[in-house]
Amino acid sequence: MIKVDSRGKSCPQPIIDIAAAMNLHADEVDFTLRSDDEATWIDLQAWARMTGHRIEITGDDSFVITR
Amino acid sequence: MGLITAFQSESPLHPKAREVLLDAFDQGWAEPRKIHQASRRAALLRDEARQSLATSLQVRGGDLHFLGEASLGFHLGISGLLNGTMYHSATSRSEVFAIAHGVNAVEIPFNSPLPLGAPGDVLAWQAVNGETGIRAADPQGFTGRIFLDATATHSGNHGRWDAALWDSGTWTGPRGLGIFVVKSREVWKNPLPHLDQRVAPGDRSIPLVLASAVALENFAQGYAAARARIRTMNERIRHFVLNEIGDVDIAGDFESMEIGEPAKLSLSFLYVDAEQLVSELDRAGFAVDSGSACSSLEMKPSHVLAAMGLLTHGNVRLTLRAEHTDSYIDSFLVALKECVLRLR
Repeated sequence: MIKVDSRGKSCPQPIIDIAAAMNLHADEVDFTLRSDDEATWIDLQAWARMTGHRIEITGDDSFVITR
Repeated sequence: MGLITAFQSESPLHPKAREVLLDAFDQGWAEPRKIHQASRRAALLRDEARQSLATSLQVRGGDLHFLGEASLGFHLGISGLLNGTMYHSATSRSEVFAIAHGVNAVEIPFNSPLPLGAPGDVLAWQAVNGETGIRAADPQGFTGRIFLDATATHSGNHGRWDAALWDSGTWTGPRGLGIFVVKSREVWKNPLPHLDQRVAPGDRSIPLVLASAVALENFAQGYAAARARIRTMNERIRHFVLNEIGDVDIAGDFESMEIGEPAKLSLSFLYVDAEQLVSELDRAGFAVDSGSACSSLEMKPSHVLAAMGLLTHGNVRLTLRAEHTDSYIDSFLVALKECVLRLR
């Protein structure tokens, strides 16, 4: 599980961070993202729809992304 | 005045409206309710403008009222009809949310079935969403009263409704002028403090009303002639951004009947900061709007994009116009691609 911490960053940086981490760790399947930006959950859902990844919200600022 | 070479929603006054404005100020300065010659002349101009607008919007002249502030029409229309529960879409304008805040209200999620309602209920129905051009499902089955938000359209053919609001700025008329229509005074009660039967409070500028009528007449003619071309323009931009740029979320399905207004187009580019994109495009000579958080003073993403489940970052909104030539669109698309790829 690769952990990405984007707390304190505003959109679109959290989505850029998680996408970059997934590119960097091409063999990894599971990722976590922490982000306190209010647009992140909305954008993660749109991003998952566009890219085919699965996402889950696990806390106020925690998300699990599965390739 | 030259070609309108921008994609933002607001526009300069229609040249024909501008032409009549100075003369209208000379002729229509007096208080129309007085009996002097100048007042009678002003009243005549106002009545001619009212009839012209009524004809263009397919409503009765006697039902049409002018508002010195278009946003006031939301309160007049919704609160004036309301005698039960208020229903409104999650994509409604912020003025509608403000009214919903103080009454018994139900928000309808995007693409959800409309309620049937009860006779005293009000549905605030947005004919066309001003950010995306998407047309809402017809509220035919609703049994209550319908307030039509027509502020993103220049036409009046929107099925059954009881009160409606248009915004003069939509048809290249003067901004800051609302056209409010209430069909039945029996179900509508004035929600503002009032002493007489007048629907619209205060005074409004007769010259601006006249300019609005002239703008609508000319804008509607030009739009009708150019609608097919604007639709093709919309389709061409969609095709280009999908195939030549990629990773883009576009509002509305072009093939379906969702697109009520092809002059509106909302594009969200993945991994792009909208504020930077808007600034880069501006430097390249193209003014666009945006619904992304980083492009708003409140730092909040567009509630419309969020309600529709669309990407809220990297968003640009285009208003396509009859004046936009094919070569202008070509140049814009080249600049858009360069800017998006550079920012990514």
